[in-house]
Amino acid sequence: MSINLSELSGRKGLENSLFDKMGKLSQPTGTPGVEELKDLADEFLIGRANTYGTATFYDFLKPDNKGKKVYICNGTACKCAGTQQKVEAELGEHFNEDEIGHMTCLGRCHENSAFQYNGKNYSGNSIHQLADIIPNTIDPENDLSLDSYHVIVHGREILTEAFTNIREYYAPFIKALKMDSATVLEEIKISNIRGRGGAGFPMGLKLEFCRKAENDTKFIICNADEGDPGAYSDRYLLEKRPHSVLFGMLISAYVTHASHGILYIRAEYPEAAILVQEAIDSLRSEGLIGENIENSGLNFDFKIIRAQGSYICGEETALINSIEGQRPEVRIRPPFPAHQGLFNKPTTVSNVETLAALHFIIENGGENWKSIGTERSSGTKLVSLDSFFNRPGIYEVEMGTPLSVVVNVLGGGFKSKVKALQIGGPLGGLVPVSEIDTLAIDFESFSNAGFLLGHASIVCIPEDFPIMNFIEHLFDFASYESCGKCFPCRLGTKRAHELSVKAIRSDYKIDRLLFDDLLNTLEQGSLCAHGGGIPLPVRNALQYFEPELREYFN
Amino acid sequence: MKLAYINNEPFEITEEETILSFIKRYKGENLVPTLCDSPILDPFGSCRVCSVEVASEKNGKVKTMASCHAPVAGGQYIFPNSESIIKLRKNIIELVLTDHPLDCLTCEVNGNCELQTVAAQVGIREVRYPNGETHLHRNKDLSHPYMTSDLSKCIHCYRCVRACDEVQGQFILSMAGRGFDSHIIKGIDQSFLDSDCVSCGACAQACPTSAISDIFQSKSNLATEKTRTICTYCGVGCNLEVASYNGKILSIQAPYNAEVNQGHACIKGRYAFKFYNHQDRLNSPMIKRNGAFEKVSWDDAYAFISSKLSSFKEEFGPDSIAGISSSRCTNEENYLMQKFIRTVIGTNNIDGCARVCHSPTALGMQTVFGTGAATNSIDDLKDTNCILVIGANPTSAHPVTGAKLKQFAMKSDNVSIVIDPRRTELAKYATHHLALRPGTNVALLNMMMFYIISEGLIDTSFIENRTEGFELFKAEIQAIDIEALENITGVNREQVKVAAIAYAIAPNAMSFHGLGVTEHSQGTFTVIQIADLALLTGNIGRRGVGVNPLRGQNNVQGSADMGVQPHQGAGYFDVTDDEVNKKYSEFYGVNMPNKIGYKIPEMFDAALAGKLKAIWIIGEDVVQTDPNTQKVIQALENTDLVIVQELFMTETAKYADVILPGTSFLEKSGTFTNGERRVQAVRQIVEPFEGSKPDGQIMVDIINKMGFPQADYTPDELLKEIAQIVPFFAGITWERLGINGLQWPVTKDGIDTKILHKKDFPGGKGYFEFHAWEETMELQSYAKDYPFVLTTNRDLVHYNCGTMTRRTANEEILSEDYLMINPEDAKIKGIDNGDFVCVESPRGKVNIKAQITDEVKKGILSTTFHFPEIMINNLTGDIHDSEAMCPEYKVVAVRIRKSKGEYNQIST
Repeated sequence: MSINLSELSGRKGLENSLFDKMGKLSQPTGTPGVEELKDLADEFLIGRANTYGTATFYDFLKPDNKGKKVYICNGTACKCAGTQQKVEAELGEHFNEDEIGHMTCLGRCHENSAFQYNGKNYSGNSIHQLADIIPNTIDPENDLSLDSYHVIVHGREILTEAFTNIREYYAPFIKALKMDSATVLEEIKISNIRGRGGAGFPMGLKLEFCRKAENDTKFIICNADEGDPGAYSDRYLLEKRPHSVLFGMLISAYVTHASHGILYIRAEYPEAAILVQEAIDSLRSEGLIGENIENSGLNFDFKIIRAQGSYICGEETALINSIEGQRPEVRIRPPFPAHQGLFNKPTTVSNVETLAALHFIIENGGENWKSIGTERSSGTKLVSLDSFFNRPGIYEVEMGTPLSVVVNVLGGGFKSKVKALQIGGPLGGLVPVSEIDTLAIDFESFSNAGFLLGHASIVCIPEDFPIMNFIEHLFDFASYESCGKCFPCRLGTKRAHELSVKAIRSDYKIDRLLFDDLLNTLEQGSLCAHGGGIPLPVRNALQYFEPELREYFN
Repeated sequence: MKLAYINNEPFEITEEETILSFIKRYKGENLVPTLCDSPILDPFGSCRVCSVEVASEKNGKVKTMASCHAPVAGGQYIFPNSESIIKLRKNIIELVLTDHPLDCLTCEVNGNCELQTVAAQVGIREVRYPNGETHLHRNKDLSHPYMTSDLSKCIHCYRCVRACDEVQGQFILSMAGRGFDSHIIKGIDQSFLDSDCVSCGACAQACPTSAISDIFQSKSNLATEKTRTICTYCGVGCNLEVASYNGKILSIQAPYNAEVNQGHACIKGRYAFKFYNHQDRLNSPMIKRNGAFEKVSWDDAYAFISSKLSSFKEEFGPDSIAGISSSRCTNEENYLMQKFIRTVIGTNNIDGCARVCHSPTALGMQTVFGTGAATNSIDDLKDTNCILVIGANPTSAHPVTGAKLKQFAMKSDNVSIVIDPRRTELAKYATHHLALRPGTNVALLNMMMFYIISEGLIDTSFIENRTEGFELFKAEIQAIDIEALENITGVNREQVKVAAIAYAIAPNAMSFHGLGVTEHSQGTFTVIQIADLALLTGNIGRRGVGVNPLRGQNNVQGSADMGVQPHQGAGYFDVTDDEVNKKYSEFYGVNMPNKIGYKIPEMFDAALAGKLKAIWIIGEDVVQTDPNTQKVIQALENTDLVIVQELFMTETAKYADVILPGTSFLEKSGTFTNGERRVQAVRQIVEPFEGSKPDGQIMVDIINKMGFPQADYTPDELLKEIAQIVPFFAGITWERLGINGLQWPVTKDGIDTKILHKKDFPGGKGYFEFHAWEETMELQSYAKDYPFVLTTNRDLVHYNCGTMTRRTANEEILSEDYLMINPEDAKIKGIDNGDFVCVESPRGKVNIKAQITDEVKKGILSTTFHFPEIMINNLTGDIHDSEAMCPEYKVVAVRIRKSKGEYNQIST
């Protein structure tokens, strides 16, 4: 984090986003040219090392990305489903090896075999229709990139509620504009809604911190960098319910006095960016964004920033650095984004699903939301199920719904034998099937049992998938996606990955004391939840799959 | 009173402090180890070695926090060395050592490596991990004359990256890649040499290992002595810590506890010291006989000088002799030189290089405020909202202050206004850059004051209570013709207005100016206007405001303070005043001269007129640096006795009749006074170069030789003498100077002064004075035939005429002067980058290499003047500041063409 780089990037304004420019420069070949990076540095009065340093961080900007034409999903769900070798083979028929890259989770976990080609995602059976896909003549009647999955509500229909039309949908916003913004904030606080991105921080407090920070310029950021492999509920909202997210941002802006909204959407979700932009455009044509909205004095506009491939950008301070065109390394806190966020200005960063919940809260009142779910985990929650379920898809459940209901009743049970569920992404817990009956979908139930609800994505580990390989996969991911700033994570995830590979591939036995020291170091010492969180599923594995793992340790 | 507990023991906390600084205050520096933390950088939180356990209540649940960035809070129970923390630190360092060469015994920083220290502190005895991937294969980068890197030693603490950003503001360093593959890069992953590195050395000093260092191995344990002294280059006055061994200087670092430079330095101060024992050093007095220099003994040289001077004094009177003292020398040496000229010779013909740089500053500020020195301190930048930088390029000429100004200008809540014909580095970052035509400062500042008055933004109560002359001034300002001035300056009036308003409404505004203000025919008037601006807006007398000239040489402030001026003696007393004359005469026991002496240009005129018989020049290369080179040469040739006291055979020394080898700042003690009136102790590091003598001792010797008593040169004894005659030095003693010096005036009991004119001015009130703009005679006379305006500038790498810096590895970085030319002009003239351009003025011509850049506007050229091969002053003329006689280096009428010939010096 550099205060100076934040300032210099901020000077040019959001319209001239450094990061945006880098993304555009990478489009022709897959990576920005050295001369282009130099010019960009000169234009922003920053160092050439800065533009180069940033570009080399991201999967889709770095020099290695040059010439990549197609990307295979290597997310956990696709990996566990075992579909990707076939995908690779099929693609190999049409592309050279160096034209094929990887993307970590395209959010097609419900049918796997996922890959991205020419800015569109494909999954399921599409891999067998490459001959139709590659010519790039899109038949609107039969767009092979479209997917479908179950969207089912269990209890109150809130986040999945059908969109009607703009005037009707935004009526609560227009009504709110006529109220004191403090009253509007109070409703959010009453609802006790907690952040859906994983950390579960009370949304009302977050907005209040930003509201209290004095500055003429403030930002509302929607964290649409749903990087957890296996999670696609944000993708659902962005693609199918974009107005719920925009609504949430407008309300956030009103209560914090922010005038700029940014949706940071991951590169792996190209369709989401297009659909959200369409929603923004329609809002604009209805006069609901811009200067002095509905004569309320609120000025607000949206900008979509398309990410470039880095899991750590889901961490809010890394995300802020990313938007600024800095290397997305995690910042220390304090200062918190509410005081010194984007371009050093007060900023609120909220998850897609959290924002989407505000429509209901504003329309029906905070008490109404609070009455749903449990005492400390209010409202409804989206859960995404992968292809091992008989009915993969997105489920809206009330907080407190037993996990067994989600797995067996809603998801219809497993297609084939499963031994564990990873819930809440790679930093979430590893729940053995034996524990399913003990858990309910709420923050406390999971954390009390030594797991993590996180973003509530559920990925199945099939019976025949060795847990040691799963541990190796987790550390591979953690190491590959570590920003590299703090010592424990940069070095610890790497060494942990090496230890697991060595144990799998040779008769090397990992010293259990060393391994415990390493997990403690990551957990206790890491700067952020990336290094700090990865030990959780590993510890779960060590606890619940000890017999299977015994041979790798001494 | 809020308390927090360290191992259950209560201690008072202060607001907004980190747990680390809290622990350090009560438990010392070493209880909590750190790696990524640095005294001058913002907390970063990468190494996590400083982690501690914290509970929010007694016996409460503990949480691990990195103490370097976690704020301390009342009621916290902090456990800096719990079992779990001790283990954590050890485990982190063990991980670090899995990717670090264990070759400590042959490592450059063996014994002074922070990683080594922390590893020892946490007690690492083995690395348990099996061999894995490492970065030990990374190659060393030895491409650069100074900077080196061996990134196999890098621990990824980012201190170098942060120093380059937060201290120097250069952004040469960054990380590239991510995670385990991340690595330090320079520029676009280039070598140090190929990058845009400015060699400030901040990264090398910041690096806790030898991953980034310098060719002098400044972090090695080779030195047996480390001595704190003051830099000899510009007027910033950076503190340096010089490492030496066996009578030789090894390297230089910047002390973190220096109030002036807080651990920072620049390429000149930190690295350009190897001139001190260069083979070109003069090693014996010499007398020119039959056109050739012959080495003579000191006694012979003194005898020769003494008899010559005595006979000239006898035959032509004392006024046939003149002295030019040196701002590179100490206060004590300057004091002795003017004392010699005034008491032994008996004339006020004493002047110094301030004449060609900041004489208009002294005069202009004296006119308005009554004191010719910076009103505030550089540290006031912390409390200002607006900087106005006029005619100065501090990132090159005053790099450490320049870096601070740049840091200021990068922050968007701050206002920075740059008035300069060139798009300087600072101008690129400024909120407002007013790129005026050279020579129109007065016009532009009048425009600014017009708008401040017309917009009603003056500080009425300040004007009423603390100034005089405002009504008349106001009437004159209101009568100016804005449209005409807009055309004259070439700056859009709206742009001027916006900048003027920004300066006026800033709660605190500071101005800084350099030679782009003074080296003009209206130099003194411009300084007066800058001071008027401060009066107009009440920006005087408190922190974060004021008028702050950026003094060019290390001791240019001090030399004037010591009386190196023909009209004022030591302590700025008017030599023509009878009272003063009486006081001086009583103090020195001789009849002191009471007629104003020659200024430097007048000395040359007198020489050409046959009136000057002898001139004694210390440490100044007037041939290369004074304007109109050929005239200066003729003047020296026309003077019977030219004595040059120097380190090297300069262009001026070549015209000497007697050469006396002096010494550099590294070989003697004394004091320098920086641009913020800070008198600091210069401490001898090594013995004088063989055959040379400290300049002060030379003065003592000659005074004695000519029959006057003067004790041997020691700074403490001389300071005692100076304190008796210079009132603002009253409380300065060698002992009191300590490590950070004292800012004058210093009262008898040793209290110094950070801010001048807090309550009133020396003359009671500040005085407004209006001056109208006038086109310089240079352009009035020659612009028709010489349509380009040439101005001069310094490059970061070299210092003035380069006598010293050209004899260091700086020469490898920049080995010749260059001419900046706008791309459009270059195109019209068919000039490509690197082509030689023939630049011709009414005085002469030179060939110089072109550097095509939009830093200069169309019709404007700018050139450096560091190399005798070019002798740019063959072009400059005789126009001087109307008041202080400072030459107009900044506006020269020239014409240009692509050079046909080779690289050579042409003179007419």
